[in-house]
Amino acid sequence: MIGLGHYLILASILFSIGLVGVIRRKNLLMLFFATEIMLNAANVAFAAISSYHHDLAGQMFAFFIVAVAASEVAVGLGLLILLYKKYGTLDLDEFTMMKG
Amino acid sequence: MENILSVLVFFPLVAAILGFLVGKKSIRVYGISVATIEFLLTLWLWFAFDNSNGGFQFIEYIPLVSEFGINYYLGVDGISLFIVIMAALMTLVGIIALNVKKDLKNMIITLLFLEVAMIGVFVSLDAIVFYLFWEFSLVPMLYIIGAWGGELRLYAAIKFFLYTFAGSLVMLVGMLYMAYVYHSVSGVWSFAITDWYALVLPLSIQKWLFWAFFLGFAIKVPMFPFHTWLPYAHGQAPTVGSVILAAVLLKMGSYGFVRFSLPMFPDASVAYITPVAIIAIIMIIYTAMVAYAQKDMKQVIAYSSISHMGVIVLGTFAMNAEGISGSIFQMLSHGIVSGALFLLVGVIYDRRHTKLMSEFGGLALVMPKYALIFGIMMMASVGLPLTIGFIGEYLSLAGFFKISPMLTLLAGTSIILGAIYMLSLYKRSFFGPVTNEANAKLPDLDSKELTALVPLVALVVWLGVYPKPVLGPIDNSVKALVTFMHEKAQTSEAKSVIVVSKRTKEAK
Amino acid sequence: METLVYTALFAPLVGSLFAALFAMSPKRQMTGVVTSILLFVSFFSSAKVLMHVVEHGEVHIKLMDWIVAGDMYIPFGFNVDAVSAVMMTVVTLVSMVVHIYSNGYMEHDRSFNRFFSYLSAFVFSMMVLVMSDNFLGLFIGWEGVGVCSWLLIGFWYHKEDVGRDVNPSISPSWAANEAFIMNRIADLGMLVGIFLIYWNVGSLQYDKVFEVVPGLDHGLLVMIGIFLFIGAMGKSAQFPMHTWLADAMEGPTPVSALIHAATMVTAGVYLVIRANPLYELIPEVSYFIASLGTFVAIFAASMALVNRDLKRIIAYSTLSQLGYMFAAAGLGAYWVALFHLAAHAFFKALLFLGAGNVMHAMHDELDIFKMGGLKKVMKWTYIYMGVASLALCGIWPLAGFYSKDTILEVAFNEHTYIIWFILWLTAGMTAFYSFRLVFIAFWGDERYKKLGFHPHEVQNYVLWGMLPLGILAVVFGWHKESFMEFVTEMLPAYEMSEHTHHMVATLTVATTLIALGGILLAFRLYSVRLRRDEKVEKSKIYKVLSNQYYIPIFYKNTFSEPYAKLSEIAWKEVDMQVVDATVDGIANIIEESGDAARQAQSGNLSDYLRWIAIGAIALAVLALFAALKS
Repeated sequence: MIGLGHYLILASILFSIGLVGVIRRKNLLMLFFATEIMLNAANVAFAAISSYHHDLAGQMFAFFIVAVAASEVAVGLGLLILLYKKYGTLDLDEFTMMKG
Repeated sequence: MENILSVLVFFPLVAAILGFLVGKKSIRVYGISVATIEFLLTLWLWFAFDNSNGGFQFIEYIPLVSEFGINYYLGVDGISLFIVIMAALMTLVGIIALNVKKDLKNMIITLLFLEVAMIGVFVSLDAIVFYLFWEFSLVPMLYIIGAWGGELRLYAAIKFFLYTFAGSLVMLVGMLYMAYVYHSVSGVWSFAITDWYALVLPLSIQKWLFWAFFLGFAIKVPMFPFHTWLPYAHGQAPTVGSVILAAVLLKMGSYGFVRFSLPMFPDASVAYITPVAIIAIIMIIYTAMVAYAQKDMKQVIAYSSISHMGVIVLGTFAMNAEGISGSIFQMLSHGIVSGALFLLVGVIYDRRHTKLMSEFGGLALVMPKYALIFGIMMMASVGLPLTIGFIGEYLSLAGFFKISPMLTLLAGTSIILGAIYMLSLYKRSFFGPVTNEANAKLPDLDSKELTALVPLVALVVWLGVYPKPVLGPIDNSVKALVTFMHEKAQTSEAKSVIVVSKRTKEAK
Repeated sequence: METLVYTALFAPLVGSLFAALFAMSPKRQMTGVVTSILLFVSFFSSAKVLMHVVEHGEVHIKLMDWIVAGDMYIPFGFNVDAVSAVMMTVVTLVSMVVHIYSNGYMEHDRSFNRFFSYLSAFVFSMMVLVMSDNFLGLFIGWEGVGVCSWLLIGFWYHKEDVGRDVNPSISPSWAANEAFIMNRIADLGMLVGIFLIYWNVGSLQYDKVFEVVPGLDHGLLVMIGIFLFIGAMGKSAQFPMHTWLADAMEGPTPVSALIHAATMVTAGVYLVIRANPLYELIPEVSYFIASLGTFVAIFAASMALVNRDLKRIIAYSTLSQLGYMFAAAGLGAYWVALFHLAAHAFFKALLFLGAGNVMHAMHDELDIFKMGGLKKVMKWTYIYMGVASLALCGIWPLAGFYSKDTILEVAFNEHTYIIWFILWLTAGMTAFYSFRLVFIAFWGDERYKKLGFHPHEVQNYVLWGMLPLGILAVVFGWHKESFMEFVTEMLPAYEMSEHTHHMVATLTVATTLIALGGILLAFRLYSVRLRRDEKVEKSKIYKVLSNQYYIPIFYKNTFSEPYAKLSEIAWKEVDMQVVDATVDGIANIIEESGDAARQAQSGNLSDYLRWIAIGAIALAVLALFAALKS
């Protein structure tokens, strides 16, 4: 029987993968993927807990997150393209104009 | 005029803002007229003041944030009245004597803003309003030092600002805690000083609050070892900046002791007389010695200010009417005398662009009027009887003698050490032959400088010979203050140290 | 009566202010004349007041309130009793003569007007000092005369500082500052005395204080007595605060005559006399005063023995005579002290004015060794100075004989034989140095001729102006009895014992003999020509004496120089290196830590992401702990 624990473990694993990706990756596109994984980890957790508690609010939140993620990707990818056009790279270490 | 105090505070503000519209040519006349009107208004305040009443007068009260007890609450008593008049007078004198070539318009507008802050501080009876004016006074001064100062002006201005600001933040915390305590006792919020007076605090809380306020005031005064911003500020500030700084801004600190520390924390004040007095004595002796070592005329007077402020602090902590009245009178006297001395140094700096004593010598031969006025101010500064300087110093020392004869003896060395550094300054600059060619043809004081200085000389002599019109109202309010402190005090030590004068007792 | 008292008091002030109007303009004879006339008015009123006091007793008036704060109540009140009436008359008389004299003496000085302004201001301050009815009023005058003395010693302020070997006083402005500062030290003592009185009596009015004094604790009275006397020591230049008086001779000679001989320096004696009800109660302090006075008498006389400077010799003799006055006052013979004070004022002022004539004739040369034989050209000055010196030595029938002899009798009467002996010895020394001066300057060979001087007698009106002092130096002593009767209304009478009465003749003879001996010795050594003994001049003791016992050097090395060094250290080492450095240090720490923290702001987004992750994990851990705890 697959219980709540399993879902949460899956969510945690997904989240950790995303987190490691965020920390380790240098390419901005890859970072986007990593954040998407983290968002989806949260979605999984939301959906599982929602069904566990029989409360639809969690699933609604999951939809929200999907919507937010979609719009974020739309705007974010646009920005990435602009960045790439301007600098010819998407390597994080190249963008240090905020150095204090 | 019921709301004369608001007029006093906001007239310069409006005038300063309108000043931006005035043309560059007529700005001096404009500034002088505004300052004169303001000064006449303060004189009117004195005229309308009821001398026999020791409490607050001309009270104005407008609720601002009433749920937190923050109100626009103004009033004067004998203690603040004359400091207000002096602030207006010194601003007027400073503007008359103004001699900056660069951005005269900005300077005059800045001075008017400064006047708003100075008068505001001394008439506020609400701690938050007081604090607002207190902090606001830093800004124009920062600008004056930073924009018209000498070579190190930025360093000096920032040091002045940050140092005093740090002190006042501690004071602000003290104020908030005080309001919190008031709230927890009475159930309502209030920042009114008069409400705080009525609050009787346990000694343990008084002690913490005492030191919080003390730090803010001590840096402003400035007390040893928090004094090092002052020589830089004076050294770099233009003449008018030094005049206002020495005459009025320093008094905010010593006024704070009288307005806040003594009546709110009488027990703690009495408990800490000895450490405060020791700091005051270090100020008196140590800075007098440092003053003697200076090569620059202005620095001598800057350090001498610290030394004189030591006497003021000592008088304040005498806890009897003689000492406190004396210390308030000494605030006025020091304001007028040191202001005049800074003006005088400015006169010679304008002519020679140096303030080093070694550059001078024999000035008395070349500039007799200058030497005469400098001599009178010097004698007032060393506390010669029949000049304004004597009365405050004498009363402060006499008052503190009741607390501790030994410490008073040490503090009394100020009359010796003061004579040493001032006379040696005078000898080095004014006596001897004219050795430096550059000094041989210096022009004596011109009519503008005389207009600024002669009234101060007259004041120095008049109040030295007949101090009663000023000392009387001060003394009335101080007596009321001392009686109040005596009744409020809880510890037996404080009861015995705070001496209610016999005449007050008889009057009852 | 009030009008007269105020006239006496304020006439000099009016004169001073009038002269001050012209202080910065060229010489106007008018200022000298007007101030002199006003001084005469003041003298005349003082004399009238004196008459009034003789007939009707003291006058007590109040002008207005001065300081009213707390319980402190200090009016401008004036009390003219026997003592102050005598002081007023003496002060105004001598001042008047000095004013008239100065018209001639300062004739060619470009600051003529300023001089008269200062001089009259001094007289006003001195009048406040003696007339005031409370201690703080006295203190006004006390400080006022100090400032006028500062102004007048430093009158020729344009002179440069020179080494001690050229001029022991360095420069007028230096001497002025020395005098002022040394007096300030003493004034602190006096101020403490005043505080003690205030907090224990509750008033500073003489009458109230002296009424309460007998009931106070003895130890307290001793403290008050000592502190007030410290004030007196400074003003009257008693050891160890005596160095300023000799240096004060840098001032114009009329000033030396008026301030540093006749009036201001006697203020200390006046204070002790005034506070006699207090000092009566503390015999130990009084005895100390008498001993110190005696010591100063012989100490100053010894320095006068070898000095070559005309004015300094007279200054030391002033110091020595002040010692006599303190001895008398300390022994309880207050009226005798006052009597000697008045007599001394007359003959010493005369002596100084004579010295001024000599200086004028010799173009400000002060070295008596360069003079000699002046009596031929300056007959009247010679006579004046001779009379004054005889009076100073205490030769019958001149004023000094009566006053000094009485002091010696008092010392004998009190069985303080050591004091008597020292004072007796000093009388001999006084005679010697006074006539050493007279003989060297006025007798013998005319050494000045070789040096190219052309001395001449001063203007006639100056000589006439000095006449009142000349007459008083002679006749004042004859009125000893009536003087005593008058002032003992105020002061305690002093009765000689039976034993002393028997001895009076012997004592008088002894004193006169030693004085004559001193004169004779001076005559033998110096009357024909200046006899200098190399051996004596090279001896150690001579050097010690001519260097004033090395005390000025000692003060310089132990006080002024270390103070200057210490100040320098306080500024450069302590204030800059410690106090200010701490403040800047704190500021620097904040700045540096900010700088260090700035490194975190690398601008590298992946670093930021790592920090975000660490923060998130830390928060999660915290949440976990919080969850576990609850």
